[in-house]
Amino acid sequence: MSPVTVESGEPLGYARAINAALMEEMRRDEKVWMLGQDVGKMGGVFGVTRGAFDEFGPGRVRDTTLNETFIVGAAVGAALTGTIPVAELQFADFMMIAGDEVFHKMAKWRYMHGGKLSVPMVLRLPTGVIGGVGAEHSQSLEALGMHFPGLKVVLPATPADAKGLLKTAIRDPNPVLYFEHKGMYRMKGPVPDDPDFLVPFGEAAIRREGGQMTVVATGLMVPRALEAAERLAADGIELEVIDPRTLVPLDMETIIASVEKTGRALVVHEAVRTAGPGAEIAARIQEAAFFALDAPVWRLGALDTPIPQSPDLEQLVIPSTDDIEAAARELLAL
Amino acid sequence: MTELDLYREVARIRALELLLNRYISEHGFGGFWHPGLGQEGIQAGAVAALRNDDYLFYAHRGLGYALAKGMSPVTLLADLFGKTGGSVGGKGGGTVHFVDPERGVLGQGGTVGSSFVLGAGAGISAQMLGTDRVVAIFFGDGSSARGTWHEAALTASVWKLPLVWVCENNGWAISVPIGEQSPTENIADRAAAYGVPGVIVDGQDTLAVQAAMTEAVARARAGEGPTLIEAKTLRVRGHFEGDKQSYREDVVDGLDVPRDPLKLLREQVPAEDADRLEVEAKAEAEAALEEVLAMPTGDASVITEGVWV
Ligand SMILES: Cc1ncc(C[n+]2csc(CCOP(=O)(O)OP(=O)(O)O)c2C)c(N)n1
Ligand SMILES: [Mg+2]
Repeated sequence: MSPVTVESGEPLGYARAINAALMEEMRRDEKVWMLGQDVGKMGGVFGVTRGAFDEFGPGRVRDTTLNETFIVGAAVGAALTGTIPVAELQFADFMMIAGDEVFHKMAKWRYMHGGKLSVPMVLRLPTGVIGGVGAEHSQSLEALGMHFPGLKVVLPATPADAKGLLKTAIRDPNPVLYFEHKGMYRMKGPVPDDPDFLVPFGEAAIRREGGQMTVVATGLMVPRALEAAERLAADGIELEVIDPRTLVPLDMETIIASVEKTGRALVVHEAVRTAGPGAEIAARIQEAAFFALDAPVWRLGALDTPIPQSPDLEQLVIPSTDDIEAAARELLAL
Repeated sequence: MTELDLYREVARIRALELLLNRYISEHGFGGFWHPGLGQEGIQAGAVAALRNDDYLFYAHRGLGYALAKGMSPVTLLADLFGKTGGSVGGKGGGTVHFVDPERGVLGQGGTVGSSFVLGAGAGISAQMLGTDRVVAIFFGDGSSARGTWHEAALTASVWKLPLVWVCENNGWAISVPIGEQSPTENIADRAAAYGVPGVIVDGQDTLAVQAAMTEAVARARAGEGPTLIEAKTLRVRGHFEGDKQSYREDVVDGLDVPRDPLKLLREQVPAEDADRLEVEAKAEAEAALEEVLAMPTGDASVITEGVWV
């Protein structure tokens, strides 16, 4: 049997899949609620929470003002006291405004209080480039979540995972940073409608099987890596594409098993290359599989610059399908 | 709470404050101890107006808040000295954390002003779950500058969250006096901007604090929203025990508390009862310290516990 993750169900957009997860979980458990800017009647600036206000009312779908420290901090306080908040920041970049709340309160309140309290909450973070929203609305900051023990970090790359991982996040007793790629909101794919469809944390998905190189890709880089793999396959080169799906916990077992088979590894992400998630993944690959490697582990990431405002320029900053294809060919030739 | 019950609480906190002062001056302390000497009346008076199941987000100045909420002095001192018998399993120390979910003691952040936003969230849970629990959030005059207060106060007021903000205005944020921190004399004046009552009370008058708090708690419980109480007091000791206070001209010499809340409250209770309660408080504090000093500190196994569920 092929280990490739097969998704089934009716086709649904990535944003609609997130919406379905929210609605299902709010129906399942009345302790689940949401807060954020414009999440109510408007349904969020990206329309992801549409319909929730009408179904659940203003007590469970709360529009806040422009107060990010409140959105995250109040979610932490509510999580400590018996409800399960799903907080939305309009852009993942705004995490920095609530830095103390995200990286200290969310991550450490349980630890600082002897494990006697828990923080069951989800922080939804629209991430990545979307075309012209510039340096403070386009960043991929998921590596920050990996740097603060206490947080879990999720990064879905398909509509099915967007749904299944969010449902798991809401049911997880830990605080979860849920990075949803805003450039993928309209992407369609099969999504199960089973209300108990959950995608477990810490289990990477093998998106494509191949024996010549392991490509570890996250978020928007997953479809790009798959496209690059398709092109190489035309030349008889088979890439194995692995999507970790969650960065904390991180399924290194699947990645290492693949690298031991292929002997080569390329890690691709949209975050800046320096100290991006790929730095950690590449380091762990060489620690665990050094003697299986036929070539150095390579990383592809965004250039070490802020994201420019122009939609054309921003695409030049992050890895393209061409970049992935070229890097893979070069790495294979080493 | 009756005058006598309040006297007992203030005396218990005072006994611990004095004992800690003595112990730390002789043996030092691994971290920062922010003494609450002289502010016991605010802590005991305000907490006295809470129910056992009301929530408490305390501030960093002393351990009176948590003691008044019913936590044992043994637990609190164990947390202070990072011992295993504490509530946070040896992870306290420094800016001391205590926790007691059964009594609604929900902790504090290492960054002051953390509790404005978290406390508001606890109020949302209470509102959503239909309990009539109230959340008390303590903070200092310096911490009132935090943006978290502004961000929380706006929405807490609009949503009529069941909160009481208790500001212990002791005139100092470390080395900077209140006059250099605030354009208005009273922190309570800011309440108007948030559409909530701002009440000023004499922080040395424990009964007055209790009365103001009782009214604010009733208002919160009735769904009428938050109240800001500003208790005027004085920082008797340095910011932390050992602070030389070179920046300060009105340094209090020794341990004599100007307008001592304990002495003021004593006028309201029979002298023999007061004497007895003081003896009991002292004995309780000493026994607790002895018990705690004999406890082990945590071994390395606790370090990795409690990061995730
Ligand atoms: C966000 C943050 N900034 C600074 C500090 C360092 N700090 C600890 S206590 C304190 C002064 C607080 O003053 P106030 O709120 O008046 O309380 P007091 O110490 O007078 O009781 C400061 C600046 C901190 N812990 N957190
Ligand atoms: Mg002060």
